[in-house]
Amino acid sequence: MNVLEIHELTRKFGDFVAVDNMNLKVREGEIFGFLGPNGAGKSTTINMISSLLRITKGEILLLGKNITKHSRFAKMNIGIVPQDLAIYEEMTAYENIYFFAGLYGLRGNELKERTAEALEFVGLSDRAKELPKNFSGGMKRRLNIACAIAHKPKLIIMDEPTVGIDPQSRNYILNSVRKLNEMGSTIIYTSHYMEEVEEICSRIAIVDHGKLIAEGTKEQLKSSITDTKDIWISYKSEQPLDTERIRQIPGVTQVLDDEQEQLLRVWSKAEINNLNLILQQLIQNQVEIRSVDEKAATLETVFLTLTGRNLRD
Amino acid sequence: MKDILWLARRTLIATFRKKSSWIMFILLPVAGILVSMMIYGGGTGGTLRVGIVNEDGDSRITKDTLSFIQGMEQAEVTVLDEESMKQKIAASELDTGVILEKGFADSVRSGHPEGLTLVSLKGAQVTAYLKSMLNNYVDNIAAIGLSAGADQTVFDKIYNGYSQKSFGMDASVVEDTSKAKNMTYQSLGFLIAFMMFSACNLTELIIKEKENRTFLRILTSPISARNYVLSNVMVNILLVMLQIALTLFMLKQVFGINSGIPAGELVLALMLYGLAAISLSLVIVAFAKNSGMAGALQNLIITPTCLLAGCYFPVDIMPDSVRKIAAFLPQHWLLQTVDDLQNGTAFGQLYLNLFILLAFAAAFAFIAIYRFSRNNDTRTFV
Ligand SMILES: Nc1ncnc2c1ncn2[C@@H]1O[C@H](COP(=O)(O)OP(=O)(O)OP(=O)(O)O)[C@@H](O)[C@H]1O
Ligand SMILES: [Mg+2]
Repeated sequence: MNVLEIHELTRKFGDFVAVDNMNLKVREGEIFGFLGPNGAGKSTTINMISSLLRITKGEILLLGKNITKHSRFAKMNIGIVPQDLAIYEEMTAYENIYFFAGLYGLRGNELKERTAEALEFVGLSDRAKELPKNFSGGMKRRLNIACAIAHKPKLIIMDEPTVGIDPQSRNYILNSVRKLNEMGSTIIYTSHYMEEVEEICSRIAIVDHGKLIAEGTKEQLKSSITDTKDIWISYKSEQPLDTERIRQIPGVTQVLDDEQEQLLRVWSKAEINNLNLILQQLIQNQVEIRSVDEKAATLETVFLTLTGRNLRD
Repeated sequence: MKDILWLARRTLIATFRKKSSWIMFILLPVAGILVSMMIYGGGTGGTLRVGIVNEDGDSRITKDTLSFIQGMEQAEVTVLDEESMKQKIAASELDTGVILEKGFADSVRSGHPEGLTLVSLKGAQVTAYLKSMLNNYVDNIAAIGLSAGADQTVFDKIYNGYSQKSFGMDASVVEDTSKAKNMTYQSLGFLIAFMMFSACNLTELIIKEKENRTFLRILTSPISARNYVLSNVMVNILLVMLQIALTLFMLKQVFGINSGIPAGELVLALMLYGLAAISLSLVIVAFAKNSGMAGALQNLIITPTCLLAGCYFPVDIMPDSVRKIAAFLPQHWLLQTVDDLQNGTAFGQLYLNLFILLAFAAAFAFIAIYRFSRNNDTRTFV
């Protein structure tokens, strides 16, 4: 059974096509990764699913029902965790969840129970009576999630729920996503952190320029790019590297230099043997090379190959 | 409806959790009454400073009219020429002026009084009692004149009997209500200015919630944007009613000021005005791009219009051209209604005023709705 089906979805802003004839199916019980570089049209798609934006063309079905025609049904069954916090700073954590869950018609004891459950779920029970003003970034994010799940939606859409928070909160959130999923919610998950997506998502869609360009399990996606190799070069250098030169070496498709970690990553066509040229280039520039490693394909490699862009720029 | 109440509940709780709301909705209107009492209660000790210009010589009727005014308990009379009278009124050295034009006495004697003019800058309510007393006095003499016809001895006989009566008591009683009327008028002037500010303050919540994105979270739930705005309006109406009730209660029960206006009619007029204020605040919110801009628009619109309409001080001081602008302001029509009610104009004749207030509310509401429906699609959430 498909929880969400998107058919030939298009959204235009004036002449600009932000989402272009997109087709997508999310099955029940999945954690579905939704990836794309900046401006790819992810948010626009999510906004249409949550009825915040009108659809220019195409249709969205939630549990088989058209969301435009069955708007109330759709809204009752979707929970949105927005990328930017959407909570009341002047109301306590408890009151926030209580209010937002109440919007779905819950009242009385049921509402109280659901509120307490949601608080417990994100680990904020002992801070229930405090104002979010005094919360850390991670706690606010957790509250932001709790506000979207107390009404027990079938489909939860999370847009970058882990952006800019400490590793501890991040693990907490990732675990709760899994738990939510085990408890029966289908989840659409957007993130700029490839490791996260790789860790928790069962299926992944990659969009660019409003179009769906790849879809499948991690394994399927990775096997589709066996023609790319991913070289990690650990180095030592006082000066920043001249990555432009390396990029011009035949076969090289993408170069990423992490100056802090002193780690250079080079993606290149598998069939061209150019490692010598790359190393030569570095040595010529007085770069001390510590280790060279060729990695198995990662999601990041898939992404770079398909979009020509890094997810995190 | 359930949705609207749920939203309204939150708005109310959040509003009254802030200290500033208590100041805005409760304290300021009460402070307005106190300030009005200071302006009209103390200082001149309730005396009415009257300047009289006598162009009619010293016939008996003229002289009696003069001493009639002088005999009024709280009147402090100066006789002077027209030019200096106008200057003194402008400089607030006099509250009001009476001009007895040439031929005044004769016209009264003949039964058709004319040539009696009242000049005032403080608004009709200041001179209302003086005017009514004078009119009453002059009308009575004119009636004597009319019934006596050309027969001077008959006239003198009736007139002698009449003019011996004392008006001191009456005058002082009327004086007191006039003071109360002034205080009421001024308190209501402050109240309607505060009403407008607090209506805007509450409506601004819509923009603030757009800015902290809770608005969009609400819209992802089964709540419609229309119900969301309606709930805000509902709370606003509630608070307007609260302000009106509180102010009128304080005026009458706590400070013991008798407004001289039937309460029901005053409340109706204030409610209609309140609706206009709320609709206006919706217009501001509909056009403002962010809360900073809303705040600026609010100050730009409310303060000057309240000044022009005479919320803070009587509009009579201003030049005629400025006063004409006031006709385009809802505040003016509310104050006009108060004025009319205080001067005893029958309520039926006030339908026009009330209709105009209602029209303001409707016009503003339409503009806001039109605007809201047009900028529907520029929301960004995620
Ligand atoms: N209201 C709007 N009016 C005009 N253009 C818009 C509007 N909203 C989005 N766009 C454009 O549509 C494109 C897709 O934007 P969208 O926000 O969906 O991207 P995204 O995939 O969410 O990117 P990011 O990773 O940066 O969040 C962008 O080029 C954006 O400028
Ligand atoms: Mg986005």
